[in-house]
Amino acid sequence: MYGGGNTFEGIKTDSLSQEDPVKLAAFEARIARGEKIEPTDWMPQLYRKQLIRMIEQHAHSEIIGALPEGTWITRAPGFKRKMALMAKVQDEVGHAQLLYSAAETLGKSREQMIDDLINGKSKYSNVFNYPTFTWADCCFISWLVDAGAIVNQLANAKGSYGPYCRALERICAEESFHLKYGHHCVIYLASGTAKQRQMFQEALNRWWPPMMHFFGPSDKISAHTEVLMRWKVKMGTNDEMRNQFLDMYVPKIWELGFTIPDPNLKKNTETGKWEYTEPDWEEFKRVINGNGPCNKERLEVRRVAEARGRWVREALKSPKAAYVTPLA
Amino acid sequence: MNSLDPRVSRLPQIQEPVSLKAPLDQFGTFEVFVQPKEGKPFQHEGIVHAPDIELAWVLAKETFTRRFTCTSLYVADTRDVYVSPLTEGESNAYDPIPETRESGIKKTYEIYHLAKRGRQHVHAGTVQAATPQHAMTEAKLQFNTGKTVYNVWAIANDAIRFTTPEEKELWLTLSEKKFRDASDYKGGDKLKEFLERKLIS
Repeated sequence: MYGGGNTFEGIKTDSLSQEDPVKLAAFEARIARGEKIEPTDWMPQLYRKQLIRMIEQHAHSEIIGALPEGTWITRAPGFKRKMALMAKVQDEVGHAQLLYSAAETLGKSREQMIDDLINGKSKYSNVFNYPTFTWADCCFISWLVDAGAIVNQLANAKGSYGPYCRALERICAEESFHLKYGHHCVIYLASGTAKQRQMFQEALNRWWPPMMHFFGPSDKISAHTEVLMRWKVKMGTNDEMRNQFLDMYVPKIWELGFTIPDPNLKKNTETGKWEYTEPDWEEFKRVINGNGPCNKERLEVRRVAEARGRWVREALKSPKAAYVTPLA
Repeated sequence: MNSLDPRVSRLPQIQEPVSLKAPLDQFGTFEVFVQPKEGKPFQHEGIVHAPDIELAWVLAKETFTRRFTCTSLYVADTRDVYVSPLTEGESNAYDPIPETRESGIKKTYEIYHLAKRGRQHVHAGTVQAATPQHAMTEAKLQFNTGKTVYNVWAIANDAIRFTTPEEKELWLTLSEKKFRDASDYKGGDKLKEFLERKLIS
């Protein structure tokens, strides 16, 4: 799972003037033809930098995203749910492995990426900085946060960087289990007792604002991303992704008789676009800058794991092994 | 730490700042090749980091064969993969490979082709050769049909950790493990029943 709304670095267009214009033209022509870029191909520095940043954020989101759901493994309602949730959380950590490998092909080592996560230098999806109070919060993540992630990932799988696309194809295949499992969990709560219905309604109330933030700032205020779209690093604007998510899942939420906590939410039949109360982007910024309800806890868990696992990694280290950049 | 999660609350306090990772903290790099079906060629799937080739095999199994049907996999140290330059357009990766003659002791090499840019490298066959360069020449003689190949890899057989016949049982998924499949989550009936109930009330 993963959120869009990547925080891209401000793009200085003059950085492109440093590039060899002939190589740059050939590079852009290849992308325009729909061909993939492979690790040994020439690429502009800006492309490399933004891709590393995006894939790395995606990988971090997978391992941090395992935490709010992982919390509920020990308290899942029943053996079957426990097994399924465990498999799902394992999947997420596996996705991080695939994504870190893809980012490594661009020249940043895994050690550096993990250092940057632990030291708060790298970002990850904001949505995982919120707590899972009840089992219903966990169900919300499994169904709807994963659904949002799939919207993003399916789009990104059509991007221009070969190793990232191949990793995403593999990830999307596993996500279909997450989505079906999550929907199954929510149907059971919806068709259960009044208390169960109330539990999910409360979770929906808590998670709707972070879910709207999930796709990133509105196009009106988000950074200029034209060059990233042309290079097929970003495959759709934040608002397009958000609209696609609303289109697919709002009817399914309403079908189950739940109320989405936004009185202004409706589809404009003329434009085909959803209208909603503008999400609180100040809150979004606050959380992304480290002041959300769980930011400290999430990073602390990683920090403790890093410190406690160190002796194991030291013991396993072999002088014969060598870190090399992956081939593809 | 004060957390909703009792397991997090129980974690020890780490006072001192965590020092930066040393090189190799995440171990060496190994390439992973998977056979999706009996009789189908192996294909390149990605990499794992591991301290040695045995653990690389174990991690590869965990990372790459969680869902898809798979009958076998093998791993090789990335340094043991001999790689031709990547070509594009009409230019064939085999063309610049020189004719090398070698008389030393031969061993088996696995040859991989990239037939389409953006896709995975797929096993093309095996050759007998004395050196990796020689394996490339042999591959050119045996597998170059004239159809454009964009990249060629050669890996010495003795540098590969293969799956043993006994280990293949690992991929025979037990029916009770169906909970990991999307097909095991049919909420349709429950949903239909719920919607009908809602309609009546």
